[in-house]
Amino acid sequence: MRNRATGATKKRSSHAQAGTASAGPTAPVAMVVWFSFGYKPGVFGTHANDVLSFDRYVEAISPTFFATFQNTLWVGIIGTVLCFAIGAPVAYWMAFKVKPQRRGILIALVLVPFWTNFLVRTIGWQVILAPEGWLSTVLQGIGVLDGPLELLYTRAAVIIGVVYNYLPLMVLPLFVAFDRVGPALREASKDLGAGKIVTFFRVTLPLSQPGIIAGVLLVFIPLMGDYITATVLGGAKGNMVGQLVAGQFQTAQNWALGSAMAVLLMLLIMVAIGVSAVIIWLVALPFRSRNRLVLGPAPETAKTDAAPAAILEATT
Amino acid sequence: MTTQTETETLLQAEARAARPGAAPRRRPRRSWSDVAFGVWGLLVMLFLFLPIIVIVVYSFNTGRLLAVWDGFGFDAFASILVKPAIQNAVRVSLITALIAAIIATVLGTLAGIAMARHPGKWVWWFLGLLLLVSVTPEIVDAVALLPFMVFLGQDLGLSMFNDGIVRLSVGSSLFATAVVSYIVRARLVGQDAQLEEASADLYATPFTTFRRITLALAMPAVLAGFLLAFTLSLDNTIVAAFVQVSGTTPWPVYVLSALRTGLRPEIAAVSTIMLLLTLVALALVALVLKRAGDSATQIARTMTGG
Repeated sequence: MRNRATGATKKRSSHAQAGTASAGPTAPVAMVVWFSFGYKPGVFGTHANDVLSFDRYVEAISPTFFATFQNTLWVGIIGTVLCFAIGAPVAYWMAFKVKPQRRGILIALVLVPFWTNFLVRTIGWQVILAPEGWLSTVLQGIGVLDGPLELLYTRAAVIIGVVYNYLPLMVLPLFVAFDRVGPALREASKDLGAGKIVTFFRVTLPLSQPGIIAGVLLVFIPLMGDYITATVLGGAKGNMVGQLVAGQFQTAQNWALGSAMAVLLMLLIMVAIGVSAVIIWLVALPFRSRNRLVLGPAPETAKTDAAPAAILEATT
Repeated sequence: MTTQTETETLLQAEARAARPGAAPRRRPRRSWSDVAFGVWGLLVMLFLFLPIIVIVVYSFNTGRLLAVWDGFGFDAFASILVKPAIQNAVRVSLITALIAAIIATVLGTLAGIAMARHPGKWVWWFLGLLLLVSVTPEIVDAVALLPFMVFLGQDLGLSMFNDGIVRLSVGSSLFATAVVSYIVRARLVGQDAQLEEASADLYATPFTTFRRITLALAMPAVLAGFLLAFTLSLDNTIVAAFVQVSGTTPWPVYVLSALRTGLRPEIAAVSTIMLLLTLVALALVALVLKRAGDSATQIARTMTGG
C-alpha cells in the first residue's frame, strides 16, 4: 500500500524509539508486581523483597478486603450499565437525529465537562447532594422529602458520581460508531421493509459493535480504579479498592500490601472483562447464527469477538 | 477513513437535496420517538453541566463553607490574592503541565510519525501497549510510579527524580504521551506518503524532509495534542497525589487535602478561572483543527484519541 523507500536507518531508529517508549510505562508496573511478593519490614520501612511469598495476596483477600472488592465490582457493573443506558440514546440522537451543522457544538458540549477538573466536578456533586444544599431545600420545599436529603456518603451517591464522570467516555465512542454506520445502509434496510426497531437491532447495532466495546471498556476500566469519586461522595469508609490501595501507600506505608491489592485489582478487571465477553458472545450466538448469510460455496467467516482487536480498530 | 468521508458526502448530498423540495421530505410533524430522543439528549446535556454550573455559581458565595450559600460577592476571588498557598499550588500545576505537555508532544509526535510512516506488525503491538497505558486504572499507574521514582531518585542516585516538579511532570506526561501519539498517527495515516517520497526524489536530506514535509503535515495534530496534553496534565489528580513531594503541591492535590479540612469558596473561585482557561484551550484546539479542514466528527475523534 505505502512505499517504504525511506531507508533502513530511519526504520531502525523508529524501532529503537518505540523500544525506549515502551520501557517507560511497563517498568513501573513490573515493579509493583515485584513489590507485591515482598513484605513490610517494621514500622518505618515501606517494602522489602529478601523473602518472597504470596502472603500479601492472602492478606489482601481477607473478608474485609473481599467485601470491598465485591462492592467495587458492583459499582463498576452498575455504573457501566447506567452509562450505556443513558449515553447510547444520546449518541444515537447526536448521530442520526440532529442536523449535521449542529453536531460540532453538541460534541463540544459533551467535551467541556470531560476536560474540567475531575475532582472539581465531583465536588460540584457534593455541593448539590449535601443535606444542607439547594437540591435538598428544593425537594423539601415542593414536598418530595420530609427531612433533609440523605444521599451524600452512600453508594447511590458514588454511582451518581461515577455515571456523571464517565458518561462522556461512553457517548463519544458510541457517537463515532453510530456515525460510521451512515444513513445509506439504514435507508436500504427501511426500503427492504424493516421497521425502525428491526433496523436498529439488525443493522445499526451490529455495525457499531467496535464502538460499543470501546465505550464499555473506556468506562469500566477507569471506573474500577477510581478512588476520587468514592472519597468525595462515599465518605472515608473505604468502599472502593482504589481507596484501599491509596491508604496502604499514603497512610499505612505498606507498599507490599498495596501492590498486592493493585495487582489483584488489575486481575479482577481482566477477569471481569473476560467473563462478560464470554457471556455476550454466548448470548449473541443464536442471533449470529440466524443472521448469518451464506453467499455461494464459500462460507462466510463468523465474526469473532476479539475484544482487544475491536478496541484497537475503534481507537485508530 | 473512507467510510467516514462517504458518510459525510451522503449527509451533505442529503442536506442539499432536502433544501429545494422541503415540503415532501421534511414533514412538519415530528414523530414521537424523535421528540423523545431530543428531550433525553437535552436532559443529559443539562446533567453534564449541572455540577459545573453549581461550582461557577458557588464561587460567588461569600460564606465560609463552600456548600452553604451565604450571599453573592467576589470575596472568594479577592482572597485568592492574599493566600500564597493557593497561588503556589496553581503555579506548580501550570509549570508541571507545561513541561509535561512538552515531553508528551515530543515523544508522542515521534511515536505517531513512526507508527504512521513505518507500518508493520510492530505498530499493532505498540498501539496495544499505548492502549494499555491509556486504559490502566490511574491508581495502578500512580502506585507504580511512586516506587519507581523513589527507586530512580534514591537507589540509583538520579537526584533529579527527588525534585517535585520533575516527578509531577514525568508522572503526568505518561498518559498524555499516549494521547498525542494517537492523534498524530491518526492524522498522518490519513495522508499519503507521496509528498515525502517526492521530497526525497528532489534530493532533500532525510532531516529536511522530516522537518519541512512530515512535521508540517502533522502540525495541526501536534498543536492539538500539545493543548490536550496540557489540559490533561493540569487535571492530573491521582498520579500527582502519589508522586508529589511536600513543598511542590499541585492544585488538584491541594483541593484533595482541602476536602478533609473543609472546602472553602476559594476552591470554586480558582476552579472557575481554570475552567475559563480550559475553555480557551479547547476553543484553540477546535479552531486549529477546523482550519486544517477537519469536520466536527473528525474533531471529536481526534479529541477522544480516535
